[in-house]
Amino acid sequence: VEDEPNKICESDRIAIKANIVPLMLSSPEQIQKQLSDAISIIGREDFPQKWPDLLTEMVNRFQSGDFHVINGVLRTAHSLFKRYRHEFKSNELWTEIKLVLDAFALPLTNLFKATIELCSTHANDASALKVLFSSLILIAKLFYSLNFQDLPEFFEDNMETWMTNFHSLLTLDNKLLQTDDEEEAGLLELLKSQICDNAALYAQKYDEEFQPYLPRFVTAIWNLLVTTGQEVKYDLLVSNAIQFLASVCERPHYKHLFEDQNTLTSICEKVIVPNMEFRAADEEAFEDNSEEYIRRDLEGSDIDTRRRAACDLVRGLCKFFEGPVTGIFSGYVNSMLQEYAKNPSVNWKHKDAAIYLVTSLASKAQTQKHGITQANELVNLTEFFVNHIQPDLKSASVNEFPVLKADGIKYIMIFRNQVPKEQLLVSIPLLINHLQAESIVVHTYAAHALERLFTMRGTNNTTLITAAEMAPFVEVLLTNLFKALTLPGSSENEYIMKAIMRSFSLLQESIIPYIPSVITQLTQKLLAVSKNPSKPHFNHYMFESICLSIRITCKANPDAVGSFEEALFMVFTEILQNDVQEFIPYVFQVMSLLLEMHKNEIPSSYMALFPHLLQPVLWERTGNIPPLVRLLQAYLERGANTIASAAADKIPGLLGVFQKLIASKANDHQGFYLLNSIIEHMPPESVDQYRKQIFILLFQRLQNSKTTKFIKSFLVFINLYCIKYGALALQEIFDSIQPKMFGMVLEKIIIPEIQKVSGQVEKKICAVGITKILTECPPMMDTEYTKLWTPLLQALIGLFELPEDDTIPDEEHFIDIEDTPGYQTAFSQLAFAGKKEHDPVGQMVNNPRIHLAQSLHKLSTACPGRVPSMLSTSLNAEALQYLQGYLQAASVTLL
Amino acid sequence: NDHSERMKKFKNKGKDAAALRRQRAEVNIELRKAKKDEQILKRRSISFSLMDESLSPGEDKRNEIIQLSLEEIVQAVNGSNTELQLQATQATRRMLSRQKDPPINQIIELGIIPRLVEFLTRADNAPLQFEAAWALTNIASGTSDHTKAVVEGGAIPAFISLLSSPHMHISEQSVWALGNIAGDGPLYRDALINCNVIPPLLALVVLLLPHLLLHEDLTPPLFQVGFLRNITWTLSNLCRNKNPYPPLDAVKKMLPVLICLMEHEDKDIISDSCWAISYLTDGSNDRIQIVVDTGILPRLVELMASPELIVMTPALRAIGNVVTGTDEQTQAAIDAGVLAVLPCLLRHVKPTIQKEAAWTLSNIAAGPCRQIQQLITCGLLPPLVELLDKGDFKAQKEAVWAVANFTTGGTVEQVVELVQSGVLKPLLNLLLAKDSKTILVILDTISNLFLAAEKLGETERLCLLVEELDGLEKIEALQTHDNNMVYRAALTIIEKYFSGE
Repeated sequence: VEDEPNKICESDRIAIKANIVPLMLSSPEQIQKQLSDAISIIGREDFPQKWPDLLTEMVNRFQSGDFHVINGVLRTAHSLFKRYRHEFKSNELWTEIKLVLDAFALPLTNLFKATIELCSTHANDASALKVLFSSLILIAKLFYSLNFQDLPEFFEDNMETWMTNFHSLLTLDNKLLQTDDEEEAGLLELLKSQICDNAALYAQKYDEEFQPYLPRFVTAIWNLLVTTGQEVKYDLLVSNAIQFLASVCERPHYKHLFEDQNTLTSICEKVIVPNMEFRAADEEAFEDNSEEYIRRDLEGSDIDTRRRAACDLVRGLCKFFEGPVTGIFSGYVNSMLQEYAKNPSVNWKHKDAAIYLVTSLASKAQTQKHGITQANELVNLTEFFVNHIQPDLKSASVNEFPVLKADGIKYIMIFRNQVPKEQLLVSIPLLINHLQAESIVVHTYAAHALERLFTMRGTNNTTLITAAEMAPFVEVLLTNLFKALTLPGSSENEYIMKAIMRSFSLLQESIIPYIPSVITQLTQKLLAVSKNPSKPHFNHYMFESICLSIRITCKANPDAVGSFEEALFMVFTEILQNDVQEFIPYVFQVMSLLLEMHKNEIPSSYMALFPHLLQPVLWERTGNIPPLVRLLQAYLERGANTIASAAADKIPGLLGVFQKLIASKANDHQGFYLLNSIIEHMPPESVDQYRKQIFILLFQRLQNSKTTKFIKSFLVFINLYCIKYGALALQEIFDSIQPKMFGMVLEKIIIPEIQKVSGQVEKKICAVGITKILTECPPMMDTEYTKLWTPLLQALIGLFELPEDDTIPDEEHFIDIEDTPGYQTAFSQLAFAGKKEHDPVGQMVNNPRIHLAQSLHKLSTACPGRVPSMLSTSLNAEALQYLQGYLQAASVTLL
Repeated sequence: NDHSERMKKFKNKGKDAAALRRQRAEVNIELRKAKKDEQILKRRSISFSLMDESLSPGEDKRNEIIQLSLEEIVQAVNGSNTELQLQATQATRRMLSRQKDPPINQIIELGIIPRLVEFLTRADNAPLQFEAAWALTNIASGTSDHTKAVVEGGAIPAFISLLSSPHMHISEQSVWALGNIAGDGPLYRDALINCNVIPPLLALVVLLLPHLLLHEDLTPPLFQVGFLRNITWTLSNLCRNKNPYPPLDAVKKMLPVLICLMEHEDKDIISDSCWAISYLTDGSNDRIQIVVDTGILPRLVELMASPELIVMTPALRAIGNVVTGTDEQTQAAIDAGVLAVLPCLLRHVKPTIQKEAAWTLSNIAAGPCRQIQQLITCGLLPPLVELLDKGDFKAQKEAVWAVANFTTGGTVEQVVELVQSGVLKPLLNLLLAKDSKTILVILDTISNLFLAAEKLGETERLCLLVEELDGLEKIEALQTHDNNMVYRAALTIIEKYFSGE
């Protein structure tokens, strides 16, 4: 239906609209739900203008007294109106809402009152109550939608009715509505939860009008919390209710509602502490669904949990009452720890709650990278660590009380910036030891904690923990890490793999003795997971670890590259042959790294692979393009001569790749990378016959679809060409395509656009290239091009001195990546396969400004008088001043 | 579309600041109750027994109050007996002056309006003129249909000529009636203006405020502050409403008088004249310019600080409107001292004042960076941050816009200062707001902050700060928001700044 012309003929539409509501209402509940969705889809198109009688038709059914029908109507209304909760304010939307309010608000209010009355008359009829409560839930949801955008006049006038009834529903309990199910929330819970949302909406948005009602709701919700049990089915209700309190207690004008010491104590005791307890469901998740448990606990995807809500309430209360709250909780922590001490094996959950409480009380700000960054000063974290955390981790058995072990490890992890370094050092062997724990959560946390500790920064930007301090533990660390990968449930554990990568990076050359065994284990792992790659993070860190092994080893012993090739090529071949799409970009990156390690001529094993890399099918996948270009660049750098002599027939294929890449707006820069490498490294005679064709291709693209990115790359290329082949050659090749073309390029592209070039190296290339055009190109001195000489010099000085022009024409803001065919494995750059920035100008020119001065000086000695006269005619004063600065710095003068 | 428009502004930073200014009328549809602090459009004259006597000096006090049925009224009004005409008209007026549910419809249905209008012309019978005027005033105070009935009965010219009645109370009643007609909307407002209502109204002001014409020796014949209030209110209704705006020459005639009225000591008169100015400035920049040119801005700013809510509210509105104008017009408001007054208003107990003040601030923040600098120098950041943290939701929304505009037009240094003033924490907290637009504006602001951080090479620090303040998890949660633009904006931020290692 979207945006397309009406495909359903108008009479059918009308017929459907006329019949669908009665049809829905006479259907059984399941079908009713589907038809109700259908109505809202049609409504999205036609309501309200083209379906004017829908509302009246619906409202009329309220009178029917048949709650099966009424619920159908309410459900449809809900699916029609719920978009008011997220759409932007607009005249169109508000006109619709106004229309809906006029027709719907009063009948809904009457229905609400009537339903509540029916609830009390049928208080003993379970099946009637179920239907009525379903209606109330839907009514409460409709209330939310209709009140979302702004407070409607009608609801402001009828606030008393709604809020009084909502309030009494919150306090209502009826045995008949209680469910036996422990997991699934019952109707009563769902209704109360929605009422909490409604109250929270009013408290947030319509505070001024809602103020008189708020204290009552605070009390009701708080009593609700005190009387609600621990079962999972209450979770949503409880966390909604606590979040409501948390949002209210932060408001300065409601502070007084919480101020009283007894109130605070009772909130802490009856609301917060019970909801921090480790429940049976948590225990189950810890053991049987550890991945989910870890995600919730470590990565903070716990937004809707009770613990999290309780934690937010602690933080909210601390805004005004940090001292008293800390005091109250300290007492609790102590008593819970004493309980634990009396009988650890029975009371270990008390200690878990104590640790959780300390954590939530102490943490004021937290990041993944640094753990806690601001702590409550009233809590002594180190003391708690030494007295209550370390003893657990020191105990002989790594498998005893796994939850407490996990708590302890997590404590180290998040308070790593608060606990002094010496304590961290004491903990490291304990953590390494716990890599052997059977519990997935425990050994995962141990790996994660080690990884986090290894990334901590000390003074002067080195790691806090040094390789030397780790020396005694290298062997056991590596052994335990790799052994942990063999524990059940952890064969592709990304935390462990990341810890391996981080350990390599920290330990550097001290891992060399273990490399043979390490690389064997990594290749085996690689082989195993390549059968069915499923954990992208795990895979990424695995390749990073491989790259690190190569780098660290070859740095010390370059010849070792051969042994890596020996170990890896077999697996790589298999990956390429089986076309394991996820891994191919990684393989190319590792191969680039290996190839760049070679100091001499390119080995024949690589040359054998070369033709395969040019196969078009490989270039179809966007994820392959960057690493493949990088690999081809490595080939050109190391083996340009070999290619020219032994594989000259492959040069057209290479250029074919270039041609394909520059045709695409998304990949043209990659095409230029390749082209630049060809120009820089290939012997000139081997590409001679193709040069003109290359320029023609570039011009075609320039004519068809010019983008800023393309121009920038194009500018870098022509200047590199100029450096490599000389300014005269550049002028000649342009003019051979079409007379006076060179002048046009100067005037229309180089001079106006050069300011857009970005990047140190790129700017340097352009500066040196333009200097050559100015000083080593005779036609610039004595043809019609001469008039462009000064503007070009001015543009060059601009490139040196003015800020980069990073504006992008309007029409380019939303370039579609039109040539990305659908979703494909994105390219993940391996940090440790990184390439140093290559500067093709290199030492030839150190300071391009001085180089310009010297070149001008040379030019002026060749034709005395010309240069100063050209300068004085049209160079602007500011540019001239800069230029004089360069001349002075180079200690030359112009003749 | 709206969004891509904004994206454009955001990418071409600071290039289109004028377009960032948000005029008052974003949405013409209101769901809310008519605001209590708006000026009243129409007023009914209610009769209390005591006031009744004193307000109707012409009434024959010897007569007992006579109850008449509707039929009797029709008969008497249409009859030729003057005494009975007066009685019936008075009875009609009494019914219409009842506090609860005046029977306006029934009276209209009697078809006596043309006759009542005719009574207005009875210069020989002042009591009858007065009663008819009063009755018609109250009919005109009803719905648009009610006002229409009065106008179609030919009341406009009759009332206008009564403005120059020798009887003060009759001309006052006419002013009132005309005010009700003008308040109905632009159509009748212009009908009045076309019938030349303005000169006699202004003449009345001169009569009541003779020092206007420097005839200081001339003491006001009958100084009645109530009368002047009515005139001011009627004038303000003549300035009110857009689509179309009141004609320019009419505005130019009224302005000098309105400005004099703003100097009066009566707070109701000041209030209504401020309302008038606020209507005149609620429009295009050339309308604003006319007001700015009168040099009234310093007085308006002074009145913004008034302890009287009824004065402060319209003065703030007027200034708020002025700063939706050009950079120069905004500068005029700044030069008039608006920035010194705003901190107090941002901290005002009334949420609507907070909101208007924040809206005003948001439009100043949409200006060039030199104006943003003045805003910093005058100490506006602390109250802005406070408001963002603790203000009423309506005000918080406006404060979010202020921050957004600030980060769009401000220099990197200014943005740094904004962040240092602690804006981030309350801003990120508002990502929980139940309003999609506000969330989107915050996400755009966060992007702006990151652009500034990139320029300083401080991206990583900002990332940490956002995460520390629980912003990251809120942005992450927004990736499942039902509004497409919100979720895309959240996704973009996560991908761009928080996806790497």
